[in-house]
Amino acid sequence: MTALAMRMLRHRPGSSAATLLALALGALILTAMGILVESGLRYHPAPVRYAAADLVVARPDTTFTSREFDGEVYESTVALPEGGTVDAALVDEIRRLPGVGSVAGDQGVPVVTAAGTTASGRGWGSAGLTPYRLVEGAAPTGDDQVVLDTATGAGLTVGGRVELVAGGVPRAYTISGLVTGNGTATVFWSDARAAALAPHPGAVSAIGVIARPGADLGQLRAAIARVAGDARVLAGAESGLAERSADRAAAALLVQIGGSFGGYVLLLIVFVVAATVGLSVRHRRRDLALVRAVAATPGQVRRMIMMESALVGVVAGAIGVPCGLAAARWLAGELTGRGFLPAGFPMLPGAIAAPAAFGTVLLAAVLAGLLAARRIAGIRPAEALGEAAAEPTGGGRKRLIGGFVALGSGAAAAIAAVGASGETAMGAALGMLYLFVLAVALLAPWINHAAARLLGPVLRAVFGSSGYLAAANLRAGARGTATVLTSLVLAVGFGGSVWFLQNNLERAAVTQSREGLLATRALIAPAGLPGSAVAGLRAVPAVRAVSPVRHTTVIVPLMGDGEAVAARAVDPATLAAVIDLGVREGSLADLRDGTAAVSASQASMFGWDLGDTVDMRLGDGTAVQTRIVAIYRRGLGFGDVVLPLATVAGHTATNLDDEILISAPASADAGLRAVAAAHPGSTLADTATLTGGLARDLALSAWLNRLLIGVMVGYTVVAAANTMVMAALARRRELALLRLTGVTRRQVRRMVNAEQTGLLGTAVVLGGSIAALTLSSVVRALTGNPVPYVPVLGGAAVLGGVTVLALATTVLPVARLLRVPPVEQIGVKE
Amino acid sequence: MPVDYQDVSEPAVRVRGLTRLYPADGEPVRALAGVDAEFGRGTFTAVMGPSGSGKSTLLQCAAGLDRPTGGAVWIGGTELSRLSETKLTELRRGRIGFVFQAFNLIGALTVEENIVLPLRLAGTRPDREWIARVIERVGLGHRLRHRPSALSGGQQQRVAIARALASRPEVIFCDEPTGALDSTTAAEVLALLRGVVDEHGQTVVMVTHDPVAASWADRVMVLADGRIVHDTPQPGAERIAERLAALGRRPAPVEGAAR
Repeated sequence: MTALAMRMLRHRPGSSAATLLALALGALILTAMGILVESGLRYHPAPVRYAAADLVVARPDTTFTSREFDGEVYESTVALPEGGTVDAALVDEIRRLPGVGSVAGDQGVPVVTAAGTTASGRGWGSAGLTPYRLVEGAAPTGDDQVVLDTATGAGLTVGGRVELVAGGVPRAYTISGLVTGNGTATVFWSDARAAALAPHPGAVSAIGVIARPGADLGQLRAAIARVAGDARVLAGAESGLAERSADRAAAALLVQIGGSFGGYVLLLIVFVVAATVGLSVRHRRRDLALVRAVAATPGQVRRMIMMESALVGVVAGAIGVPCGLAAARWLAGELTGRGFLPAGFPMLPGAIAAPAAFGTVLLAAVLAGLLAARRIAGIRPAEALGEAAAEPTGGGRKRLIGGFVALGSGAAAAIAAVGASGETAMGAALGMLYLFVLAVALLAPWINHAAARLLGPVLRAVFGSSGYLAAANLRAGARGTATVLTSLVLAVGFGGSVWFLQNNLERAAVTQSREGLLATRALIAPAGLPGSAVAGLRAVPAVRAVSPVRHTTVIVPLMGDGEAVAARAVDPATLAAVIDLGVREGSLADLRDGTAAVSASQASMFGWDLGDTVDMRLGDGTAVQTRIVAIYRRGLGFGDVVLPLATVAGHTATNLDDEILISAPASADAGLRAVAAAHPGSTLADTATLTGGLARDLALSAWLNRLLIGVMVGYTVVAAANTMVMAALARRRELALLRLTGVTRRQVRRMVNAEQTGLLGTAVVLGGSIAALTLSSVVRALTGNPVPYVPVLGGAAVLGGVTVLALATTVLPVARLLRVPPVEQIGVKE
Repeated sequence: MPVDYQDVSEPAVRVRGLTRLYPADGEPVRALAGVDAEFGRGTFTAVMGPSGSGKSTLLQCAAGLDRPTGGAVWIGGTELSRLSETKLTELRRGRIGFVFQAFNLIGALTVEENIVLPLRLAGTRPDREWIARVIERVGLGHRLRHRPSALSGGQQQRVAIARALASRPEVIFCDEPTGALDSTTAAEVLALLRGVVDEHGQTVVMVTHDPVAASWADRVMVLADGRIVHDTPQPGAERIAERLAALGRRPAPVEGAAR
């Protein structure tokens, strides 16, 4: 059977070229996405900072426990966005345990050097955990001494002075020594000084333990675990979990992008490949009928079709997977260059992803073959005897029912999408699109038939007798052209919706931010601003209001998992003067410790109402219960959760403010600048810059979305082109017959144009409706405004592009067919 | 080279009360209106009749390519109506050979591969000696590695006959096997069919509208409006032509007369 399938393929390579292209592109995309997922899943941070520690006590993540319907306990672990802390008192408790050699609490104090570079500030006691060794000078003592690693201290000498900004406050220190060791830029203070500067008072970011030589690590670990409470005791390679949360967040991002996007593309591949395999089977109806008549059982023909698909899948995998490996390398480079991935993030070569992508493509091919082979049952062997291979025109009852089910599910998804938030909006939109396109694919025979009836008079009026023939062809071939219609609808639907979703998102966010921002100036510092800056700004004459804002992330339980939600911490007393959140219900006047305000989309997604008390975890894992006192509109511009500063104080990585919003007349600028100058690393910005910065941030994340969506839209376009070229080339005999009966070449061309115009018109109406419905329900969910924004140029590009696509992919192949004298083609078997 | 038969007294093909209705808008079309016939072993029968007389439908039903609406078909001792599609296919590839008017061969396969295709799909090892004799008989030894597209129409039909013989079937059904051929080539093909009946005791049932083609048969059966109207030993091409012409001059059947 394999040999027979191979012979069939080699004899008619054209009929499987479309399938090959679709599968190879699919293999490329799946391989690239698979490598993202594999690198994310198998990412394991190797310990650097705690490389010398035998055991590390830390809280790198938080765990959600829920009970499933079947009573099974389900655990989900989320990396803490702000890093967890451990009680500093635990250091002494551990020191008293038997077998402990040395123990040190570690602090990570964000430090900005005079040169503007960032470093991690630590207590000298933790130097041995990495380890760092003195190459010159002595350990720091007192509050004004510091030890630098040789890279940070390049050009400086022991005994010299260096200015460092820690906790937002600049101060000069005497260099007491220089050290070397693995790891990022580091400065060491005395333990007391480090504790004083620590962002979390009374807590350390981790505790490193070095066991006494010969001590039983397992016993020691158990002993520490007994006193450590809910903190984790990490050993060996696991210790890396306690460091570098940026890498872990990146790993999670890779899994998320690769997984969701790979899934959508997989659906698309099955969809497209099922169509192309189906088309090639349809075009070989007579061959298959002959095989059935003389020898093959229905099962054998089915196996042959599946084997053919599988062979094409193997070739496609062999082409697509290596290309995917190259694409993954390029993508990883771009992601690093654009800041989605930390530099040096270990991307894997795809030892699992490549075979998995290969297998998936093969499976998709076989599945598509299986779907197409179902049609074989409809081929009667007696068809081999007939002169013309007549096709049944209508679809079956099952197809009709399936179509209406898909249509209904699509409508239900549209309603569900209204309740979705920004992160899930894309998923909801894609789900809707797939369901609607599936409905069109299933109902296509009836749609084509109805469209041909409706458009018949129009086509006759415009194209004359060619239009008459075109309408007749559309009506008779309603089922055959279903694939063409579906691929056009897919291209219009995809191009017209998901592509513009990003535009709408950005536009809404910038608009909300612009409308809601009442402040006239803002002081911004990437490393954070201390309370002294707020006081300094308030002291400037003529300033009306000064309000500090912190950007953080909270983790909210959602169906057993922890969902990270962007949050702002604000000063409730002064907020109203600088930001208008667009409160719909409740009042921000009630915002105090233990309460929160949430955006409308957040509230609807999580099912929260005004007055509800909800569970959240702060960025460092601290569980809080907050009562919702206000629900506001401008979530895209200002984050989905607003907490009072008092709630998050001591629970963020820096414990400093990210920006200070100022309401002041222009005359106060000089005074404001003086405060900015007193805080190195900070800049005074006007609100246009602030809004512009948001737009830039969004554009950055939009790059990734656009790339992924672009690939999907591109894929649908290639698939549509594929299908139409294939369908056009299969008409050689029919067109030759028309020409032999006296239809001129010009008339044939006009007839084909008329058919394509009819199909295109139907596709644009259907695809446009699907796109409009999808876009409007998602945009409504995000912004509350049901009218989506479609850039004129973008809309024109989609319509123009699909028109060019529809005509070029049919007219060119048909023109090629028409160059050959018809008598040469009439003898050709179909 | 005689073919093995289980029971020489049993006819190769037998049909009883065969009817076939085709659904159509309004009144269904009755292609066969109750046909009873037997085709004895080692005989060559021509089935004739004007267009729409039901002769092709009779062939398709008798050969298990199509399922009759009513009645029964036996190939040897096997009744077809109870067979599943898979069993029916297995029966076709083992016990029935086919020669169609055109497009008989799979373009992707060589002449030799086309000939042994039914055996390969059946999973049986081709009897090399028998295949060699069949190929020699149809005179295609020098073209075995060629594709069907490189052959003339007559050569293609000879390949089809070779394929039909390859599994030593009980009966070979031919549907206008010479319809697309010129008279000289047609004569070659018909001589070949006559030869396999005379020399190998093969059974052949051939649908044709050509009196000259029919004159190579032992027996001529004429259908009109789904019924057998003549069934006689082959009387010669001229007599056949006269009978057909007489059939053409008959007054058009009254609506429903065939029922």
